[in-house]
This record gives sequence, C-alpha cells and structure tokens, in this order.
Amino acid sequence: MDRNTAKAHIHVMTGCSNTSAWWGFVGMGGWMSRAGLALTLALLAPAPVFAGDDPATGATVAMQPGSSGRPACAACHSADGAGQADVGIPRLAGLHASYIADQLGHFATGVRANAIMAPYAASLSADERRAVAEYFAALPIPAPVDPIPEPVAKLDRGMALFQRGDARTGLIACTQCHGPNGVGVGSFTPRLAGQSGPYIAEQLHRWRAGDIRDPRGAYMRAIAARLSPADIEAVAAYAAGLKTGETIENTAGGKP
Amino acid sequence: MRFMQVAATACAVSALAVAGLAAETAWFPRAAGATETPAPFTPPAEDAIPAGKFGDEVRLGEQIFREPGEHAAAYVGNDLRCSNCHLDAGRLAGSAPMWAAYISYPAYRSKNGHVNSFQERLQGCFRYSMNGKVPPLGDPVLVALESYSFFLAKGLPTGEKPAGRGFPALPKPALAPDYARGAQVYAENCAACHGADGLGQSADGKVVFPPLWGPRSFNWGAGMGSIKNAAEFIHANMPLGMGGTLTPQQSWDVATYIDSQVRPQDPRFTGDVAETRAKFHDNPNSMYGRTVDGAVLGDPKVTPPAGTVPASKAEHK
Ligand code: HEC
Ligand code: HEC
Repeated sequence: MDRNTAKAHIHVMTGCSNTSAWWGFVGMGGWMSRAGLALTLALLAPAPVFAGDDPATGATVAMQPGSSGRPACAACHSADGAGQADVGIPRLAGLHASYIADQLGHFATGVRANAIMAPYAASLSADERRAVAEYFAALPIPAPVDPIPEPVAKLDRGMALFQRGDARTGLIACTQCHGPNGVGVGSFTPRLAGQSGPYIAEQLHRWRAGDIRDPRGAYMRAIAARLSPADIEAVAAYAAGLKTGETIENTAGGKP
Repeated sequence: MRFMQVAATACAVSALAVAGLAAETAWFPRAAGATETPAPFTPPAEDAIPAGKFGDEVRLGEQIFREPGEHAAAYVGNDLRCSNCHLDAGRLAGSAPMWAAYISYPAYRSKNGHVNSFQERLQGCFRYSMNGKVPPLGDPVLVALESYSFFLAKGLPTGEKPAGRGFPALPKPALAPDYARGAQVYAENCAACHGADGLGQSADGKVVFPPLWGPRSFNWGAGMGSIKNAAEFIHANMPLGMGGTLTPQQSWDVATYIDSQVRPQDPRFTGDVAETRAKFHDNPNSMYGRTVDGAVLGDPKVTPPAGTVPASKAEHK
C-alpha cells in the first residue's frame, strides 16, 4: 500500500466514526472485519489533508471523504479499484468511464435503487461523477484474486451458460454481449471477467425479481428470467474466475 | 470465509429490503412471433457428436460455422460469421437452422434457375452473405459444413418442410415501410450494440456485434439484403435476447433502414446499376438502384467492391 492509498483509508476512518448514516451497514455481521484490517494498516500513514468545497477531481472523490461526511470511494472499492470480491463490492478499475458515470447517475436519481450508493452518488455533482468515473476507468485492472473455491460441476454449468447459453430456454451466451471471455464491449456492456462473484449473482437475482435499473437493464431482465437461482450462482462463480488474457480452455472449469 | 458470505448476503438483503425491491414476479418477455411455437425438432446435443473421422468433420464444420474468418479465411471477405444470422450455430428454429436446410436440398431455386445441391446452397452464402469467394464443390470447407448440417438433422424426414425452417413469416405492415421511422427504431433499439454507424463493435480483437452495413458486412446479393427476410429475422431475433418485442411495423421499418445503406457490390453487377436492378432486384423488397439521401444505392462511386478476400488470406489456404 503506498502513501496515498494509506491516506485515503485514514479519511475513511474519520468519515466512518462521525457519520453513522453513511456507515450504519458496516456494523452488520462480519463485514467490518475485512474492512477493519485495511483500515488498521492505514493508520500507519501520515495525517490526512481534508478536501475543500471546490468541485473535486476524480482522484479526490475516489480517495478522500467529502465535507458532508461522504466516505471515499476507496473505502469500499479499494484504492486500486479492485473492490472486495468476497463480500460483493464490485471492481471498478477497467470498467468503461461512461458506464460508471451512468450508474452513478442512476444511483443518484434512484433509477437504479441501491440504499448504500444512492446518498453517495447524490452528494456528487454530475461533473464529479464523470471525473471519478474517468479516474477508476483509467486504473489498470488489478491482478485477479483467487476465486472462492467452487465445485467443478458448478463451474462447468457456469461455463456452459457463459460461453454457449442454453437453447432450451432461449438463453443467449454472456459472451454474445459481454465479448470474448467477458471482457466487456465499449460503453455498452461492462467487463465481467474477474468481477466479484457475489456482486454478479446479486445483480442477476435482482433482475430476475424484476428490478428496474437503467434502460439497458431491460436486456438483463430478459436474460435473468431465463436463469434458475442455481444457474445464477453457477454463472457468477464462473465469471468471477475468468482471468483476462487467458483463453477459454485454461480458465476454471472443463472444456468448452 | 463463511461469515463473510453471510455478511455479504445480509448487506444485499438489507439493500433490497430498504429499496422495497423484494419483488417476486419474474419478468419474462413473451415473444410475439412464431418463435413462441416450440420447435417440433431438436437437433442432437453437441456432446452427441461421435468420435472418429466423421465426428472430426462435424466438429470442423461447427468451428467453420462459428468462426469462418479463422477456419475458412480464403473464402471470407467480411467480418461476419455464419452464426451471426443462423443463430445458436445453426440450431435455432426461426433463424434458418441448418438441420431444416439440410433436408430441403436438392431443390429448385429461382435465384439461379436450377436445382441446387446442398453444397451449392452453401456456396451462395459465401458469395453473398460472407462477401467472399465460392469454395469449389467438394472443397474440405463445404464437406465439413455439410457434415455438420447432416449431423444436426439426425432423424428429420426429408422431402417435407419442417416447422422452424427459414424465418417465421411476418404480416404485411399496416403502413408502407418507412426509412425515417426505421432510423428512429434503429437509434432506440439497435445502435447501442451495432453502433450508430452500423459498423458493429469489437472487443479483444473479435467482432462481438456484427456490422449491419458498410464494407465489412454482407453484399447486395445477400438474402439479408431483402427487406422481407431482414424484417422477419429482426422481428424474431432482435434486439438480441429480446426477440418478438418489436412490432411487425417497427421490424419492417428498421429492415428498410438497414437495407437502404451502403454495402459491398452485388457480385452479379453487370456494370450498370439500372440493368443490375432490372435483372436481379426487380422487386419491392430490394432498395438496390434506388436513391436514398441523394446517392444511388449500388452506384460504384459509393459502393465497396464485392468479394474482397484479403490476398494474404486467400494465399494462405
Ligand atoms: C448476413 C446474414 C447471413 C450470414 C452471415 C450467413 N447467412 Fe446463410 N442465410 C441467410 C439468409 C437471410 C438466408 C435465407 C435466404 C432466403 O431465404 O432467401 C440464408 C440461407 C442459408 C441456407 C439455406 C437455408 C434453407 O433453409 O434453405 C444455408 C444452407 C446457409 N444460409 C448457410 C450459411 C453458411 C454456411 C454461412 C456461413 C458461411 C451463412 N449461411 C452465412 C443469411 C446469412
Ligand atoms: C444487445 C445487443 C444487440 C442489439 C440491441 C441488437 N442486436 Fe442485432 N445482433 C447482435 C448480435 C450479438 C448479433 C449476432 C448474433 C450471434 O452471432 O449469435 C446480431 C445480429 C444481427 C443481424 C444479422 C447479422 C448482420 O450483421 O447482418 C442483424 C440483421 C441484426 N442483428 C439487426 C439488428 C436490429 C435491426 C436491431 C434493432 C432492432 C438489433 N440487431 C439489435 C446484437 C444486438
């Protein structure tokens, strides 16, 4: 962890203790324990400098808490934008800037309902949302974490759905829109390879339940309606284990 | 590990509950077209491909079908794949599946005025849909594709038109198909994937959303260049994953729009646009030779050449 990273974490600490409205959810279950580890490490760094009220740059929004008590993005999504795969906090690094900015806009207006992200996104101006989106989009894609170990049969089912779809239910393959091995296509479809498995699964479960998201969510509701809950878990686990740059053959699961 | 997953679930559940989104009704798009009628025929599964020389041929055929630019490069002149139009690698009923095609030849075709073998029919898609070169009869590429199609058709009786062949028929539109309305449909329903310029999108060096027009798409002789074929295909299958959601009128309009764009020349071009139209496009489903946005479609001045297989690839074979 470099100096800047550590700084950001300290800001986060400050934000956390003062503003329970933002962080009420942190107390739940064991969630805190992982975040707590990062924060403890962060305490070893020098003292923070607070951001003013001027429109913040992407890096400032990402790394420092706002004056309203808004925590830094990095508090949850990590300074390198890797997110926290095992607890379902998505990776932002390497997503398309306009995709991130669109989602922040949807959180702010409630089009994409999310109790945690809504106040956060609403506290940013449109310019700040765009700036922080560009910031995370430009970060290198972090080295993949070891995926949660999964049974081979589950990963095989996930691979079949991801790479080929399922003709019996009219399900198209994930790759048909998210590109070869789920690398994402332009601003239209986000990268799935190596994304947090629990995060992918949660989104699919929501779409399956008819959740409204952005207009593009209409595609995903049509897709998710064709997936059983078990298929959702399988395809999410497979996608999480996909490593960018590797071919289909040598990633998780059997032969395509 | 365990407690973290529990915690993640708790977070997710609370977020859902707070937002009042614990909705139960699964939203399922109902296709309005013939895609809804279950196909009476199911081709054998991929893992039923036998071992041995014949099985190898079937597998090669499927590879060519999915990636002709890689496995039949000498004959491919654009960025399309067979499976872009014959969906699910030629298995899907209602998008001209190969099992239905296989048992329907030899057959008379008015397009060339004689009885065509299945291989000759395959040649046609290379010449027009792939804007490429025709593999000679008996060429390994055609044998592999024929083997794959034969395998898919296992158990299907010959000589009868199977349900699911071709594209599902679409009623005539209430209003005459219209380019301007089609442009609107396109912007709203298609451009996100195929691009506002119709040229498609790639990722990691692979075409993901195929070009609908321009120099790397099908040429003026292709079946998809017929507004009727395109309207039927689009209504049943597009937007991808949401087939049957456009109205028939929207499908006719957007088909008119994409079939009124610049694309490679008809390989049968006689040297004269009006004459070529009279000979090969004399029907309301073709825009060839018509004037759109001030340009005559098919005019060599604005029309990329036909059959543009890169020389390097042609030699390679
Ligand atoms: C741009 C879309 C497109 C592409 C790409 C394409 N085809 Fe076709 N194909 C069509 C259309 C449209 C028809 C139906 C034409 C008609 O009815 O006149 C068709 C018809 C066929 C048929 C006859 C189907 C029947 O039931 O009689 C075969 C066989 C075929 N294609 C094989 C192929 C092969 C093999 C490839 C790849 C080398 C290919 N096609 C690529 C659009 C395409
Ligand atoms: C979600 C992305 C998406 C949307 C939206 C979409 N398509 Fe497609 N389209 C595809 C993909 C992917 C293919 C290739 C399918 C395959 O290979 O399985 C395709 C294939 C096609 C083809 C045949 C291939 C070619 O290049 O000619 C046509 C025609 C087509 N689409 C037209 C449309 C039209 C018209 C619309 C709007 C009504 C539309 N599409 C909306 C993704 C999309």
